[in-house]
Amino acid sequence: MPKHEELLRAPVKESRILPLCLVAPALLTVLVLFVYPLCYSLVTAFVDKGGQPTLGNFYRAFEFYSVDIGFTVVIVTLSTFAVGVLAIAIGGYLTLGECAPAVALLRWVYRWPLFIPFVVAAQCMRTFLAKNGLMNNSLVSLGLLDPQSTVGFLDWRGIVITFVWKQLPFVALLVSGAMASLDRTTIEAARNLGAGRLRILVEIVVPQVRPTLMVGLILSFVTMMSVLSVPIMVSGESPTMITVDMAFRINNYGDYGAANALGFISYALTGAAAWIYLRRGIAGGGKP
Amino acid sequence: MPGAGLEVAGLEVDYGSVRVLHGIDLAVEPGSFVALLGSSGCGKTTLLRAVSGFVPVSAGRVTVNGRDITAAPPDKRGMAMVFQSYALWPHMTTAQNIGYGLKLRGIARDAIKRRVEEILAMLELEGFGPRMVTQLSGGQRQRVALGRALAINPDILLLDEPLSNLDARIREDVRHEIKALQQGLGITAIHVTHDREEAMVMADRIVVMDQGRVAQHGTPEEVYNRPVSAFVAGFMGAGNTIRLSARPTEAGLAIVPGPNNTGATIAARALGPGVSPRHDGPVVAHFRSEAAELADPETVGDGTLVLSGRVEQASYPGGHYRYAVSVGDRKVIVDAAERLAVGAAVGVRLRAEALHLFPDSEQQGRLP
Repeated sequence: MPKHEELLRAPVKESRILPLCLVAPALLTVLVLFVYPLCYSLVTAFVDKGGQPTLGNFYRAFEFYSVDIGFTVVIVTLSTFAVGVLAIAIGGYLTLGECAPAVALLRWVYRWPLFIPFVVAAQCMRTFLAKNGLMNNSLVSLGLLDPQSTVGFLDWRGIVITFVWKQLPFVALLVSGAMASLDRTTIEAARNLGAGRLRILVEIVVPQVRPTLMVGLILSFVTMMSVLSVPIMVSGESPTMITVDMAFRINNYGDYGAANALGFISYALTGAAAWIYLRRGIAGGGKP
Repeated sequence: MPGAGLEVAGLEVDYGSVRVLHGIDLAVEPGSFVALLGSSGCGKTTLLRAVSGFVPVSAGRVTVNGRDITAAPPDKRGMAMVFQSYALWPHMTTAQNIGYGLKLRGIARDAIKRRVEEILAMLELEGFGPRMVTQLSGGQRQRVALGRALAINPDILLLDEPLSNLDARIREDVRHEIKALQQGLGITAIHVTHDREEAMVMADRIVVMDQGRVAQHGTPEEVYNRPVSAFVAGFMGAGNTIRLSARPTEAGLAIVPGPNNTGATIAARALGPGVSPRHDGPVVAHFRSEAAELADPETVGDGTLVLSGRVEQASYPGGHYRYAVSVGDRKVIVDAAERLAVGAAVGVRLRAEALHLFPDSEQQGRLP
């Protein structure tokens, strides 16, 4: 039997199979359920029903849905911008607010929509934003609005409101966390020199949490680009979003080619957003 | 232009239900440099933050040139603070950091540029203006933080352990730079530190703090040579302690001979403020290692106090030898030029001026 010292000196035998076995289930799941469908849809966007290479799917997509593509970009960009502004406002108040009860209340309330699925959020907004919905009824009962002059928001505005309501907690959570982890003395130094809270937020806090804010906004942008339930449920009218058009091409015509072409355009739009972000990161010294 | 005078009266600060400052009274002369000295948790930074307006006070008053600023926000107190972590804004250049306070005051861009150049020249940072502060060394960042505070011509400069993140050699240089700048500008400065030597070198007056109270306030010489309590004596370097017995005599306070010490008489004028010449009973004597001398263990009768002991440990920190000498059940540290063997019997001679005596009841309390 080898001595204790010899055992300690003996080289450790490394098994190469065990790590692979541990990783394999996760890797297979990603490959089969994500990478394969993604590559397949990208390839079939350039193939016709006969299996021949073509750009016809893209001609059809642009011919029928160019307005919807523009509409999607505008809606998602507007929503992303609104989410960014409001997340900064919430994070800023949580970091710089001096009324402790208000800060505690906001900290408790703002995360709620994070746990609500898009489809439920859309249903909530249908009942809230309709012409005779909860919002208008409340305003009428408070005497702030005349019953004859109520207007429904179940159009592009409803989509934006739903997206912002749903995505704001996620970005606000990231941003407020980044703000909370800042060196507090950088805020105190500005205060000491005479900066007001708004100025501290804009000139001292936001520039320091910009990388985190950008990550949150890009993830939100990508998420909103892929939502189907909200545009269908909140706004049934035209123009609508790309996701609705994709579902329509498949369900009504079995046109996977055009649907995949629209999907490819979605990838390109989200990829462009990510590229702009990464480019800014490299220009800023390689920090994303 | 001389800086402003600051007065703190009966200042109390609570963190929740815990009182951390207990009725602090402090007067700072215009243009003087005051160091708040104490160990971690003694309340020195809290006092500085209460003066600067970042910590609300529970009771008491803070006045600058007679103007009550107790409830004023930090930016309305005419004070600028240099933080321990520098607190520079990493997304701004050196020039933007220094000029930010001026920008907030609505000063024209050209005037800001001139002032920033002036500050950079004063701090020997010419050419560093366009550089991001993240590209500067620790010492350079420290100077930028100082420049940012000085750029707005504050009445009072508050320094919250600004040198603690610097390495020893740079720290000594920056110490003298800050002191020279303060004297040159005639500005009032309050400096928080736990470093005794730093406080001694930089300050005109030292405020030693202990457990949220001022333990002693005086010039560096007063605090060093005439500590009012065992805590101050220990904090100011008189870390060796020995228990003795004393009784009053006409010539002063007599130290009664004991199993490990000779008798001695300390004239009343040589006694510090810690013990009365009429004290009768046990005392604890504090002394510094460099104030003790090694002597023949048989030495008696020359009027000085001699402790008999044995060398337990010897080391050479540079310039002299350092010995750990056991005296009865205690161990004292003594510096001496001569080399002695471990185990040698020695006498530790202590002249009257080297001793800081306190009633032994204080020994039962807290020693640093």
